[in-house]
Amino acid sequence: MFRWKVTAAVAITAALALTGCSADSNSGGDGGGSGGGTLTIGAITPPTTFDPAGSEWGNRSAFYQAVYDTLLLATPEGTIEPFLATEWSYNEDNTVLTLTLRDDVTFTDDSKLTASVVKLNLERFRDGTGPDAGYLAGTSFEAPDDTTLVITLDAPNPALLNYLTRDAGIVGSEASLTSPDLATNPVGSGPYILDTAATVTGTSYTYTKNPDYWNPDLQHYDTLTINVLQDATAGLNAVKAGEVNGLKLANNDNLAEVEGAGWTINANELDFQGLLLLDRAGTMNPALADVRVRQALNYAFDREALLTALQGGNGTVTGQVFPASSAAYDPALDDRYGYDPEKAKELLAEAGYADGLTISMPSSTVLGATTYTLIAQQLADIGVTVENTDPGNNFIADLLAPKFPAAFMALEQNPDWQLIQFMISPTAIFNPFKYEDPTVDALIAEIQNGDEATQEAKAKELNEYIVEQAWFAPFYRVQGSFATDANTTVEVLPTNAFPAIYDFKPKS
Amino acid sequence: MLGFVVRRLISGIVLIFVISVIAYTLLYLGGGDIARRILGQAATAETVAAKSAELGLDRPLPVQYVDWITSAFQGDLGRSWFTGQLVADGVTSRLAVTLSIVIGATLISAIISVILGVLAARRGGWIDAVVQFISVIGFAIPSFLIALALVLVFAINLHLFKATGYIPITTSFSGWIASVTLPIAALSLGAIATVAQQVRGSVLDALSRDYVRTLRSRGLGMNRVVYKHVLRNAGGPALAVLAVQFIGLLGGAVIIEQIFALPGIGQLAVQATSSGDIPIVMGVVIATAIIVVIVNLLIDLAQAALNPKVRLS
Repeated sequence: MFRWKVTAAVAITAALALTGCSADSNSGGDGGGSGGGTLTIGAITPPTTFDPAGSEWGNRSAFYQAVYDTLLLATPEGTIEPFLATEWSYNEDNTVLTLTLRDDVTFTDDSKLTASVVKLNLERFRDGTGPDAGYLAGTSFEAPDDTTLVITLDAPNPALLNYLTRDAGIVGSEASLTSPDLATNPVGSGPYILDTAATVTGTSYTYTKNPDYWNPDLQHYDTLTINVLQDATAGLNAVKAGEVNGLKLANNDNLAEVEGAGWTINANELDFQGLLLLDRAGTMNPALADVRVRQALNYAFDREALLTALQGGNGTVTGQVFPASSAAYDPALDDRYGYDPEKAKELLAEAGYADGLTISMPSSTVLGATTYTLIAQQLADIGVTVENTDPGNNFIADLLAPKFPAAFMALEQNPDWQLIQFMISPTAIFNPFKYEDPTVDALIAEIQNGDEATQEAKAKELNEYIVEQAWFAPFYRVQGSFATDANTTVEVLPTNAFPAIYDFKPKS
Repeated sequence: MLGFVVRRLISGIVLIFVISVIAYTLLYLGGGDIARRILGQAATAETVAAKSAELGLDRPLPVQYVDWITSAFQGDLGRSWFTGQLVADGVTSRLAVTLSIVIGATLISAIISVILGVLAARRGGWIDAVVQFISVIGFAIPSFLIALALVLVFAINLHLFKATGYIPITTSFSGWIASVTLPIAALSLGAIATVAQQVRGSVLDALSRDYVRTLRSRGLGMNRVVYKHVLRNAGGPALAVLAVQFIGLLGGAVIIEQIFALPGIGQLAVQATSSGDIPIVMGVVIATAIIVVIVNLLIDLAQAALNPKVRLS
């Protein structure tokens, strides 16, 4: 009897040892319910720094969310919920936001979360050189007591609450903010603690559960590892070998293989791809000042064919830059410009370009040679010649300089006000010619100062106007894919490229 | 002898200095708007300008270089612009990974090449033909294809080794073996092809020399002649090839590290170069240049020790 037990034990140990390579990544399934197990996920890009003032969101959000809490929480349902702040309210003209903070939160260096610490974080973010420092431009902060934070704005900012669910809302401990190692050794109040000894900066980040976390319901794992798998082949191999539980796919090229390995694809549509017709005043290319020319460019594209050819059909064709999750979205606008080269030629002739015209655009190897060939071909069909220049590493810098009247680009479709500030308003980054239109300006002002119902109604009007005026020639919204293995579930966010770290759960 | 070493070290330092100037200039010229690339498409022009000033990128190139090399001489290689990590930490931690697989591949290919080369030269016939065939195959198939095939068979299907990632030897020895075996195997194959051919040629050449006939005529057994005398003579050229291989493997490791997602110096160099992370690239360049200088010096010394005829004056 005894000997039999030993034999069985040896056999089990041997079996475990033989499958050892995959055991560590499958152990996420052992947890069942909250706590226990390891979650290993793959990201496309490492964070540039753990300094809250230099933090970023998008594909880097998980690295920050693991150690830091945000003031507010964005949910997969698209709502904004309490987090470090339990309540918030605006004054009458939406220029003063008052937040009530939790009083039971401690950082992992045992210091307490207070309004003055939050104030310090927000000021550092606003004054820092992080990519999103502009989110808090024109704000000032006060901390009248330990649990009250008051944000005063120069002008209403309907996107502020959303910013506080992202990088701008991250809070680090006061002492850590002056540490020389802040970039690589973060101290937050988040669900996990970065294990710097087990972390290889730029490649693999290991976190352990924060034993004193104020919100244990969100801690579904004992250990969390985020591996950076930039190379698509390495990512696919990690999936097939079962070395990760979840992986953000850089593109949709390998969907079939990933699903074939028994994985689930969790999809959202965040980015649109298409032409930005930036020189709407015609200062660089006079033809683009004519709305008929811009509309003609919209009629030139067979969007379904482009989606199939360039994205394997993984996405949805669109004619508007606002996302489907937005109140401004109108499905009818997606069909506003069908594929109609004849109509395009007519419009060009009416505008005085019957003999055709030439438009210069930047190209980038990152977006693939096929893309540019197809665009050039479809435009050639209506008599428009594309002159492509590859600015190499200066692609975005040259685009924003601005050195090109139009460009093919992939841009994130943010929530409404953020999107307006990003690509429509006269000061928007992706309105590099600073083009202004009185109708647009009036609508923007109404959205900025109006109540929620006004904001939604006016955003809809603005969207329709922008489509009618053909500021852009969007092709499609690209499917963003996050793959999870059989032991793991996740819900994707409608407003971010990477799922929230709290939304990963072991399948029970 | 000492004079030789000193002269080589001085020329090595000059070489490293020249390389640093060239690398810095090329990076700077090819870098484009680095602050914009660090911050991404959403950053405002003001933030980009502030970041540029913070990193000192708004100063003329010579000023930036002098600043860099002055700090470098004081042992401060700065911090990565993209990860905030100290360059010295990043380079040394990743060098350990790369050297694990490159030294491993060099040792394994040296042992196997010598065995195969000697076998082929002495036995001739079908053994020679097989070794020659393996060499050609090893030459012809690029290491990344070998790597992909190895991953498919041994990591994905058999689950014997890891397909991605690196486990330090200090964390777990078996984990380390699981993570480095396939990269080493993929790197070794090409090296074996080259070095085995070289060993075979050198041994054949030595065997045809007069001294072998003399030794044989004195009644020494063939084994004794080969292992005591011929290998010693054939060792020089083989060592030289091995040194070139070692340096070549450092380059080959770049692709292998990408495929296996190994946090090695090659992967770091690729990431840093494509993003324009000048402090990191410079750290990698200097570290690699130092290794190359040292390896070359060691090989010269080893050859001298092996063959008194080429003893250095």
